[in-house]
Amino acid sequence: MLTGKKLFQTIIFSEILQGLKLTLKHMLKGNVITEQYPHEKPQLPDGWRGAIVHLRYDDGTEKCVGCALCEAACPSHCITVISAERPDLPQKRIAETYILDMTKCVFCGFCVQACPVNALASSKEYELATRDKRELVMTKDTMLTLGDKYFPVREKRPVYSDARMDLFEALKATGFPKAEKGHDS
Amino acid sequence: MDIGIQILVIVFQIAVVLGGVLTHIAYLTLAERKILSDMQDRLGPMEVGPHGLLQPLADGLKLFFKEDIIPAGANKFIFSAAPILVLVPALIGFAVVPFGRDSLFLGDIEITPYIADINIGILYVLAFASIGAYGILLGGWASNSKYALLGGLRSAAQCISYELPLGLALVGPILLSESLSMKAMTEAQGGGFWHWFIVVQPVAFVIYMICAIAETNRLPFDLPEAESELVAGFFTEYSGMRFSLFFLAEYGNMILVSCIAVVAFLGGWQAPFSFLEFIPPIIWFLAKVYFLLFFYIWLRATVPRLRFDQLMAFCWKVMLPLALVNVLVTSIVKYIVS
Repeated sequence: MLTGKKLFQTIIFSEILQGLKLTLKHMLKGNVITEQYPHEKPQLPDGWRGAIVHLRYDDGTEKCVGCALCEAACPSHCITVISAERPDLPQKRIAETYILDMTKCVFCGFCVQACPVNALASSKEYELATRDKRELVMTKDTMLTLGDKYFPVREKRPVYSDARMDLFEALKATGFPKAEKGHDS
Repeated sequence: MDIGIQILVIVFQIAVVLGGVLTHIAYLTLAERKILSDMQDRLGPMEVGPHGLLQPLADGLKLFFKEDIIPAGANKFIFSAAPILVLVPALIGFAVVPFGRDSLFLGDIEITPYIADINIGILYVLAFASIGAYGILLGGWASNSKYALLGGLRSAAQCISYELPLGLALVGPILLSESLSMKAMTEAQGGGFWHWFIVVQPVAFVIYMICAIAETNRLPFDLPEAESELVAGFFTEYSGMRFSLFFLAEYGNMILVSCIAVVAFLGGWQAPFSFLEFIPPIIWFLAKVYFLLFFYIWLRATVPRLRFDQLMAFCWKVMLPLALVNVLVTSIVKYIVS
């Protein structure tokens, strides 16, 4: 049975009035949480995993040594590395071709972790929509340009000792011993 | 004044009222979206024009260029007639609404602030409001779709049920003003807000507001178009211009019932205090209508939809007896006092 107070509350729609008060309070407070996305960009947190980029040393040379560990680590097989020997520094290698297919990339960041020389990094580039899908197949050059944009502070290039440099010079003169077909050792 | 000028004046009045109403409908849709989004801590439309002010234009253009689809198996004639049958009654009711007090004189030509002062104005509006329900029902039936049919049936049941207490709630003001003319009704409420009929007829006002919300199929009574159960209710199969006619009718009806509520209960164009009478009457009228429209939207942001049996039980078991008692008490008191 309805008590007197309950009956009064029913008659004046007290529950609906409470609801109306709440909505009006929200309206007058004007606390808007909408982000006007294309006009105002979101503040991305550190550690954001956007497009993968290549980094450079402070003298402008690229870090990548073409070891293809990123290719091995990649779960979606989107990285292709073809490495070659560096002509100026024998014994040292470089990625002759480095292709990262952004259409397949899942932005897991495993390649960044796998890299032994920290040549890869996750940038905050996230606006990857394009009219031409081929633009998403990134080569080393595009990745280096993106890396310059997002990581302006570069690491110092390690200096080789004089003994190593002498060895390099000697090897350059004689030529690095190459394995030939049919040779055992 | 010869007949030609008279017709010209009437055509001018109709053009002004129709233009004004359609502009208000267009901007009511924007106002609804903006107020709803404010209450939900969002921004609402912001892209077209500053703060989305031109959004109704963009929406209208979009609807205008959309493909007009008539579903297979639909009754073509009724399908195309239904939106018109809904929109026309919604707009035609504005003919008797007195928007202001003073006529505009151009030489000896008098332009009244209402199109026509029929001596049965309220009855006229109620009669046309009932025709609108036919449009909804026929549109739902002619679509050859189960959702549309269910929406139409619900709408018919709802409109017929809620028309009774709606009409009975208006009997109070009619008794008090001793007139069915909306102009006379407004004039009976002059001289301060304590003369408004809402002071002596608060129950009738609440009943009228609830029934008006149900009549216009607004939340929390929007069962005919309950999107979570019936896709879009009676206009599920409609697209393009035909859909926009239903849309216009819904918002036109909102404005119309607000106008009638203002005339019958809130003193029409009367100022609340006599020292505020320097403000033009039409501004008072619009301010009251805007407040009621805001209240509609406010309610929509607040309350959830009712279940259908709750809706019907509320109408027949609560509203109708209350309205009848209100009529009875009003007549007795009126008889004793006068």
